[in-house]
Amino acid sequence: MPDLAAFQRAFAEAILAEGDLVTSFRSEAFAVYRNTSARGAVEALRAAYPTVDMLVGEEMFTRVALDYRRETPPSSPILSDYGRDLPTWLARQPWTSELPYLADVARLDRLWLESFLAADAREGDRARFGAPRVMLHPAARFGWFPTPAMTIWQAHRNPCGIVEIEPEWREERALFTRAGMTVTGHLIDAACHRLLLACAQPVRIEECAASVARAFPNASVPELLRTCVASGAIIIS
Amino acid sequence: MTPTAGLSFKPVHFEQAMACPAEGLWFEVHAENYMVDGGPRLAMLEQLRTRFPLSIHGVGLSLAGVDESDRDHLQKLRQLAERFDPFLLSEHLAWSRHEAASFPDLLPFPRTNEALEIIARNIDIAQETLGRQILIENPSLYLHLKGHEWPESLFLGELVKRTGCGLLIDVNNVFVSASNLGFNPYAYLDALPRGVIGEIHLAGHAPDPLLGRSLLIDSHDAPIAEEVWELYEWLLASCGTHRPPTLIERDDNLPAFEELLDERDRAARMMAEGRRAVAYA
Repeated sequence: MPDLAAFQRAFAEAILAEGDLVTSFRSEAFAVYRNTSARGAVEALRAAYPTVDMLVGEEMFTRVALDYRRETPPSSPILSDYGRDLPTWLARQPWTSELPYLADVARLDRLWLESFLAADAREGDRARFGAPRVMLHPAARFGWFPTPAMTIWQAHRNPCGIVEIEPEWREERALFTRAGMTVTGHLIDAACHRLLLACAQPVRIEECAASVARAFPNASVPELLRTCVASGAIIIS
Repeated sequence: MTPTAGLSFKPVHFEQAMACPAEGLWFEVHAENYMVDGGPRLAMLEQLRTRFPLSIHGVGLSLAGVDESDRDHLQKLRQLAERFDPFLLSEHLAWSRHEAASFPDLLPFPRTNEALEIIARNIDIAQETLGRQILIENPSLYLHLKGHEWPESLFLGELVKRTGCGLLIDVNNVFVSASNLGFNPYAYLDALPRGVIGEIHLAGHAPDPLLGRSLLIDSHDAPIAEEVWELYEWLLASCGTHRPPTLIERDDNLPAFEELLDERDRAARMMAEGRRAVAYA
């Protein structure tokens, strides 16, 4: 009789093994466990990367997710955390050279999910400082992309159905904000991106405005600040 | 309000759930889906909790795992329990972690004396950290494993005796395991200790796509089978006046809220009828 540790080691290996390498558990009933574990991982990835799923199709996504799982099986029962590095993994796969925007779209899906699950703003966040400070909302997420990934992402996540697009091939910047139950994606310009970077740590409002104005002399900083407060990207205390 | 029959909570049914007047209705959620920092999921659960009793059902503690339970994970469970004050808190007689890997499944093990010691230790740690009793759910089984030293009913009974935990009896799991492994489900239920069942689960199952009914899968994607309702009726009758709150579980192939509520109402009626029958006897 093997002890519990030996049993679990063999069982775990058999679940993750390729093909039928492990003979001790080869049976149709054992396949239920193998399939359930694999499906759990694949469906967790599909839930986290719905736009990637739309772009490559269900069957292809399943194959890609199984490949990813072979290298990186889940390490926590909290499945919304699973696949954080799928975007960088996708960028490394030779076949994605045909879809150069795919890894960026995956990053956008992840930013959406992070915004959805992030902490709420606390009252203290608003009133902690004496002089007016500006800081990012805990649920704001933003990024720069070398591809028109946000235009593609938005076209697929349109609530009224996928929109036909012919995106111009250029870099883009995106912002996700959360208000109430809804996370919203915004295409933003370089000045807005600079402003958000400036607020990564709570900063005095004049300091933040000055750093944006230095980099973008033509930008209307008060207007940018107003838009970012209205969208819930930043908090002014 | 005493909780009678409840439903697994699905965010798509939030509006209907909040407006539902059914007496004794309660909801259950999987703990791991709510181990997040903030946002709409937790906000929705807060609102639900203002209207209904809540049960938190964990799937990630890996109580039958050789390694001691993950303290971080236990702390997250404790924080959830403190925030939402569930009337029931449950986990599984299964393992799902091995070294760095976590399997999104509930895995079987030989029920040996060694396993009993390890699981009792893990339940002790969990109950101590959580500061309350947890219920342990019987798994659905697919594989004949060698080396069992305990039948499952008695194994569960022994865990209750050693740790003071309660039991969550999933009647569909009993049916699925009995069918797959070839034992009598009534004898299984009969061998469970009395008075320690804190919750009952009912769910649908499906035949394996390749093997048909010789391998039943605990799929949670179909209405509850009539044989499972019969087994449930028997279990209720054997519980006497203590009728454990009963949950209708459905995770896949989600029907309209009303359809789930119909199954839930059927369970609630059976609980009430049984109670009357016992009172008249």
